[in-house]
Amino acid sequence: MNELIRRILFSSIGKKILVGVTGVLLCGFLISHLAGNLFLLVGEEAFNHYAETLAHNPFILPAELALLAVFLAHIAVAAVVSIQNKAARPVAYEVQRSKGGSTVGSRTMVYSGVLLFVFLVVHIKTFKYGDVGPGLYHLVLTSFQNPFYTAFYVLAMAAAGLHLSHGAQSAFQTLGINHPRYTPLIKAAGWVFAAGISLGFASLPLWAYFRTGGLP
Amino acid sequence: MSLDAKIPTGPLEQKWDNHRFHTKLVNPANRRKFEIIVVGTGLAGASAAASLGEMGYNVKAFCLQDSPRRAHSIAAQGGINAAKNYPNDGDSVHRLFYDTIKGGDFRAREANVHRLAQVSNSIIDQCVAQGVPFGREYGGSLSNRSFGGAQVSRTFYSRGQTGQQLLLGAYGALMRQAASGQVKIFPRREMLDLVVVDGRARGIVCRNMVDGKIESHAGHAVLLCTGGYGNVFYLSTNAASCNVTATWRAHKRGAFFGNPCFTQIHPTCIPVAGAQQSKLTLMSESLRNDGRVWVPKTAGDNRSPSQIPESERDYYLERRYPSFGNLVPRDVASRAAKAVIDEKKGVGPTGLAVYLDFADSIKRLGADVIRERYGNLFDMYAHITAEDPYQTPMRIYPAVHYAMGGLWVDYNLMTTVPGLFCLGEANFSDHGANRLGASALMQGLADGYFVIPYTLGGYLASGGIPSVGADHAAFRDAEKAVEEQTRRLLAVQGRRTAADFHRQLGLLLWDKCGMARNEAGLKDLLSRIPGIREEFWQNVKVAGQKESFNQALERAGRVADFLEFAELLVRDALERRESCGGHFREEFQTPDNEARRDDKNFAHAAAWEYRGDGQDPMRHAEPLTFEAVSLAQRSYQ
Amino acid sequence: MSGDMRFTLKVWRQKNAAEMGRFEIYEAKGVSPDMSLFEMLDAVNEDLILKGEDPIAFDHDCREGICGTCGSVINGQPHGPETGTTTCQVFMRLFKAGDTITIEPFRAKAFPVVKDLIVDRSAFDRIIAAGGYVSVGTGAAPEANTLPVPKEKSELAMDAAACIGCGACVAACPNAAAMLFVGAKISHLGLLPQGQPERDRRSIALRRAMDREGFGNCTNHAECEAACPKEIKMRNIARFNRDYLKASFLSEE
Repeated sequence: MNELIRRILFSSIGKKILVGVTGVLLCGFLISHLAGNLFLLVGEEAFNHYAETLAHNPFILPAELALLAVFLAHIAVAAVVSIQNKAARPVAYEVQRSKGGSTVGSRTMVYSGVLLFVFLVVHIKTFKYGDVGPGLYHLVLTSFQNPFYTAFYVLAMAAAGLHLSHGAQSAFQTLGINHPRYTPLIKAAGWVFAAGISLGFASLPLWAYFRTGGLP
Repeated sequence: MSLDAKIPTGPLEQKWDNHRFHTKLVNPANRRKFEIIVVGTGLAGASAAASLGEMGYNVKAFCLQDSPRRAHSIAAQGGINAAKNYPNDGDSVHRLFYDTIKGGDFRAREANVHRLAQVSNSIIDQCVAQGVPFGREYGGSLSNRSFGGAQVSRTFYSRGQTGQQLLLGAYGALMRQAASGQVKIFPRREMLDLVVVDGRARGIVCRNMVDGKIESHAGHAVLLCTGGYGNVFYLSTNAASCNVTATWRAHKRGAFFGNPCFTQIHPTCIPVAGAQQSKLTLMSESLRNDGRVWVPKTAGDNRSPSQIPESERDYYLERRYPSFGNLVPRDVASRAAKAVIDEKKGVGPTGLAVYLDFADSIKRLGADVIRERYGNLFDMYAHITAEDPYQTPMRIYPAVHYAMGGLWVDYNLMTTVPGLFCLGEANFSDHGANRLGASALMQGLADGYFVIPYTLGGYLASGGIPSVGADHAAFRDAEKAVEEQTRRLLAVQGRRTAADFHRQLGLLLWDKCGMARNEAGLKDLLSRIPGIREEFWQNVKVAGQKESFNQALERAGRVADFLEFAELLVRDALERRESCGGHFREEFQTPDNEARRDDKNFAHAAAWEYRGDGQDPMRHAEPLTFEAVSLAQRSYQ
Repeated sequence: MSGDMRFTLKVWRQKNAAEMGRFEIYEAKGVSPDMSLFEMLDAVNEDLILKGEDPIAFDHDCREGICGTCGSVINGQPHGPETGTTTCQVFMRLFKAGDTITIEPFRAKAFPVVKDLIVDRSAFDRIIAAGGYVSVGTGAAPEANTLPVPKEKSELAMDAAACIGCGACVAACPNAAAMLFVGAKISHLGLLPQGQPERDRRSIALRRAMDREGFGNCTNHAECEAACPKEIKMRNIARFNRDYLKASFLSEE
């Protein structure tokens, strides 16, 4: 086997670096996705035009495949890492108390990750393979008339925020970027990013649910 | 049997070079035919095992800790001396040699000490190359600090963790050899006997501390690097596992014990807080640069220090030693503390402490300067005592710290048993009656890196060492003796724990053979120790089984040996009718209470020969001749 | 004993690696606030020995926080509740009289229990043996001042070299990862000019040795940093990650 692949795929640090790199790529995807979603607030025509253009872009298929690959790599490697981590402590502590360092976000990465995976399946099923009818704008607004569906979305976005609260800044550490001069800034930026993504995405279903004026 | 120190001929400066040239070498291809047993993995043991492994010898390294890196050398704080003369302040090999001989109160062997000073510079080179992070100047060169007993700055340091960093360097070198297979490491093994075949040391018997099994290991030479015996006093600055067992068993197999009464008592330790205390923590003596030592003038004055007005305080070091004041050497400061405490002027809940007061320095320099200089020490003190030394004076008390005595060795570091070598604190060689600060690390590494690789080869190349395996009958006999002792310890099933006996012995020794000794007290001890030993063997209680992890059994075995060794220590103190260095006999002092040496009758090293249980040991003397230095009386007034 | 505090101790007892362990309850009486936790255990053990019972086995040696021998998890925290200290420096004044104190061993697959509170940390020795040193034989060293080392670099190296190898980082890590221990060694040597020739090789070799021992993967919780008695920083792990990444892609190793 190629030595480089061995060093990355079959080593503790290499796997973490993979999770970090794919995580950073996914963060980039989230930003562009959120930017697109915000067309909802501009209006039906703008949003549907954006959706159509995107869907008819000749490069969308390779881009989607690449995105899928990144998602799957992130999930698969993180799953392996989690299983190994579990196995590294076969007997649990009777009492375990943090001495500091870990956060709710860091301790729940697996759970928030699993929730996000479930969300992803539902989300793609609804909006990629669902019946678009008169346009995606219509589908979005109809979908978020259901309070449970909206609540699920908001919950998932909270999980995304939690996941990113650790994941975003942690990726820098994994990639070897840590210095007392800028790491506090990275951490702060990580929190802002996590909050921004979480609130940004969650605001749209809430807007759709609570908006007045009936469906288009 | 006469003692031959095998000091090479020629001028002092050329002895080591001459000796290296005349010592036979072992052909590189032949080195792999030799098995060398190294017991202990502190500075001396780890450096020796690594260096010998690099040369191609097959080495087996044993330690009783769970990893070689935990040997007690790791706790050394201050630094390591070398004659580099980087500060350009007049240092030289000869000056380091002279300071060490004088610091040892002229009771060390000139040739050994000179060699130590000669190789000191190579030690620093070696450690730096290993990546030991010594303190540096901004320009990138190595930094030096000054230390007691010298007028030059020659001490290299890694913060307050010099011993740790040097040991980790040696441990790295050792693990490198372990990875190559040249050294096999046996952790959690306690050496319980030396095996001598046809008059030569041929191996050891040890206990695997995990499963309790007795193991035999044969070799062509045995190196004991097992540290000092300070724990015979029960409370000391030593680690809990420091013991005399390896050297004591070797002594009983024929190795003479040199100067056992030379023990160093360090003046600045955190005092005993209660009967359950297990350890005395050293505070760097640098504190005396800015702290003033005092006690109340009136005996039994138990007011808090802030309630005692200036006029009712006795700054006894400044009073007795106006020129050196609080900076007198370790032995002098310790004895002076004992004197005021004997007058019932001691402070604190136990009365066994004196104040070390920083109030004046804080007033003069500000708390920030003091914090910068001693912050970590103040924090450590506050952590252990729950008192804030910025607000209230520290309480300090002397504690046993280092053993200058140890197995007698010749210039080649070989004991009186051919093939048995002894390195580092475990031997008696280089510090005479008092060790200077930052010299212990130097000696341990000198012995291991730069002396034994030559002198061991000389012994092996001299030939006549037949092949002996661990299946030899002598190993069976030694194993049987060890098994028998273990069986006896477990069979007593009495009513006192080994720790209890240890405490009793230690308190007695401390009281009558500690900072000050006199004939009556020593004779009293000699009459009482056999009784304690007898009671031990009739009334000790050791829990657990033989073939299992059993810390109670380990402890009991060590205490049993301390109970035998203590008698030799006291006997040596009794026979040395003079005061020198750490050995202070009250009968032999100057009118102003300073140590009075007797160079006419005692300018020698005492080497004790074991002559069987129940027999009095025989005292031999190795005369010390001084050619390069003239003997002088130390005075600090 | 000299004091009048009482404690209930819930202590992990395990005969050896092969047998199952369990918690046992002991009463400690007459404890004074100035006693260390170990001095209290010493006293409990003296009583156990006199009763003919097996005393509690725990690792300790220097009892001044430098040898790295001691290490237990006290009320869920490696080396107890304080930061920057070892288990031997835990004093009873930290606890309220009458408290129940749970004491258990460091738990990790790579640290099998030897007995009671004692674990086998020889995995650390094997990691160091894989390359945690500068390969320089005795006598092969150049004059010490030949190679200047910037003071700042030297201080940073010393920060990392202060590691006592106690294993609290592994014990505290939710993943039982050894990255802080290994990262500290990588940093110590990687920051010094003496460590440069083997720098790439070291990061590859130490990572391999570490993974072989069955430690978990670092997920940047930073619990290790909080539990480290020598307050070694996460930054050293980042340096290890960086060195490893660089060595994997760019080095000749």
